[in-house]
Amino acid sequence: MIDRSYKELLKVRRFPHTWCPGCGIGAVLKNVAMVLKEEGWNYQDTVAVSGIGCSGRMGGYMNLDAVHTPHGRALTAAEAIKTVRPDLNVIVLSGDGDLASIGGNHLLHTSRRNPDITVFCNDNEIYGLTGGQAGPTTPKGTKTITSPRGEPYSPLRLDRILTQQAPYFYARTTVYHLNHFRTCIREALHWKGFSFVDIISDCIELNGRRLGFKTAYQMFKWFDERFHIVEGVRDHLAEDELGIARVEVEEVPKALERVEAKPEIPVEGLRPFTLKELEHFDGAEGRPIYVGYKGKVYDLSSSPLFQGEKRMRCHIAGRDLTKDINIAPHGEDLIFNFPVVGRME
Amino acid sequence: MRRLISGNEAIFQGAIKAGATYFAGYPISPTSEILQQAAAYAEEEPNFRFLQAEDEIAAAIATISASLAGAKAFTATSGPGFTLMQEALGWGHVVEAPCVFVNSMRVGPSTGMPTQPAQSDLLQIKGGSAGDYYPIAFYPNSVEESFRLTVTAFDAAEESLSPIILLSDAFLSHFYEIADLEAIEVEGVPRSKEPLGRGQRLFTGTAHDKLGNVKTNDPVIYREWLTELKDRHLRVAENYPLFEYLPCRNSSVLLIAFGITSRIISSLREQFSIFRPIRIYPILEKELKEVSQSYQHIIVVEGSDGQYASWAEWAVSRKVLRVPCLGGGFKLQWIRSQIEERLKGA
Repeated sequence: MIDRSYKELLKVRRFPHTWCPGCGIGAVLKNVAMVLKEEGWNYQDTVAVSGIGCSGRMGGYMNLDAVHTPHGRALTAAEAIKTVRPDLNVIVLSGDGDLASIGGNHLLHTSRRNPDITVFCNDNEIYGLTGGQAGPTTPKGTKTITSPRGEPYSPLRLDRILTQQAPYFYARTTVYHLNHFRTCIREALHWKGFSFVDIISDCIELNGRRLGFKTAYQMFKWFDERFHIVEGVRDHLAEDELGIARVEVEEVPKALERVEAKPEIPVEGLRPFTLKELEHFDGAEGRPIYVGYKGKVYDLSSSPLFQGEKRMRCHIAGRDLTKDINIAPHGEDLIFNFPVVGRME
Repeated sequence: MRRLISGNEAIFQGAIKAGATYFAGYPISPTSEILQQAAAYAEEEPNFRFLQAEDEIAAAIATISASLAGAKAFTATSGPGFTLMQEALGWGHVVEAPCVFVNSMRVGPSTGMPTQPAQSDLLQIKGGSAGDYYPIAFYPNSVEESFRLTVTAFDAAEESLSPIILLSDAFLSHFYEIADLEAIEVEGVPRSKEPLGRGQRLFTGTAHDKLGNVKTNDPVIYREWLTELKDRHLRVAENYPLFEYLPCRNSSVLLIAFGITSRIISSLREQFSIFRPIRIYPILEKELKEVSQSYQHIIVVEGSDGQYASWAEWAVSRKVLRVPCLGGGFKLQWIRSQIEERLKGA
């Protein structure tokens, strides 16, 4: 049975809500509520702050004390509330236009002061409530009602702004990659300090249709094409990556981290694989995903990178990756977290 | 202890006396000293929180949010900063956040003449934010009164559940007088509003009904809400009918002045009657009417081009003469000659 207890955190009596069918904000609200419920945060200890716009209405649907600020001022309000009441958890639910354009100055300075608040930004790359004008995150060339020949300017890169100096927490996810989305919400809630979750979301009615999408689902598929999830702790994210970039104040040098690697498993007792045998475990038809690395064979089947449709893209399965690690976007420590099932002949 | 104290310090001490625990501000002459004192005080008093914000917009929003979170909060600025704070001022009235905005006036518009005193932000009290709202504003004219009125402003804020404006001017902010603030017996009222947390309320700047449900297309609910707001504010304002009246037996002329101008023209009290409104807004309509009845001429001496004079004219329903002291020029001799000129022409 599906657990609907997260609805305790929503003012369901105020539904139907104000958003269009197919809008991504509903998914943002629901998943934030679900994770808050899982984490046991409720009206006893949590306050929601939101700005103006479609996404600014989220606070009003949360079953919490909520503050609905003037346009762009959500972060300042949240910071002041957290300062006065450190005992409260403060979350900000707002949109990209609110946080990055009219509230851009506050974004720079609130993130610099690093209060312990969590920001969920419904990033739909458009001003939806006012009818579909170009926003600060609208990609260059996008046609909107205020950029009929295509947006002439490059969009603001929130990831770069928010990851310029430690400590920081910036996560990018989408309303389509649900498991990843929830992981990002959870990690952000746990982060001590200013955490920002950039949720790529859709506005089908006032942006998507103009771009040629017929349904919200088509937009979701487009997100899936544009972005891919990257694993592990990162310093920065590339433009097409979904993941978490975070750095705490005390940076442990990478060289030291490797010293603390897991204890060596003796190679002798393991099942031997030849390269030919290894190729069989390619993830197809329910087979597990094995890869070779530095003489050992690891089982990557449990990696969220290769679930569902993503399994089809698993081009690394059944191969020895010892040489490939140099061109991979991550270090070798990622592989060590997976179970060892054998050794290379 | 009797000592030399500046107007700015008196305001800060008054806020502490009233129980303020939060200050947010942005440096601007002539109220930077309040910001500095708040920063220093926050170092020694851990319950007092301080924010030097990135701009006055953030300072004002932080003040109101801190108030919603349960602190007695205040901010201090001057004309150009007050212009940026107008957004928050309107919001503060709708979300019913008791707090105090100090505006020490200097010559405007825009950057104007930093830092020459003026009294030209009166229309900004009432008319700067969108829509109808009913702010309450006080304006002291001495260091000691700055202290007392700051406490009064915090009390009125708790009563009216709204931001109260405490006016000052560059002169009054920067000038030192001997006062014994510790000996002044005033007591701030406790917080009247349930702080944030442990509720399911919505504090929104959007029109809403009594339960906090957003209602953006219901004129009946809006009218009810605005009437309630107006009644509450006017009722609270009536509790503070503050003014000073210095009648002069032989005079047929009533001078109206406030803040620093009232100090300057106080040496004319042997020749003219003087009325000093302390509650600047809402206008002391009844009191002005009563007092002005027995005078042939009314002259408003103020540091703006007739901002208060037009209000006074409306209140007493007759012609009011004006002596605008512009560009920071408040010389007594000049004021006296202007008064005589106006009377000749009248």
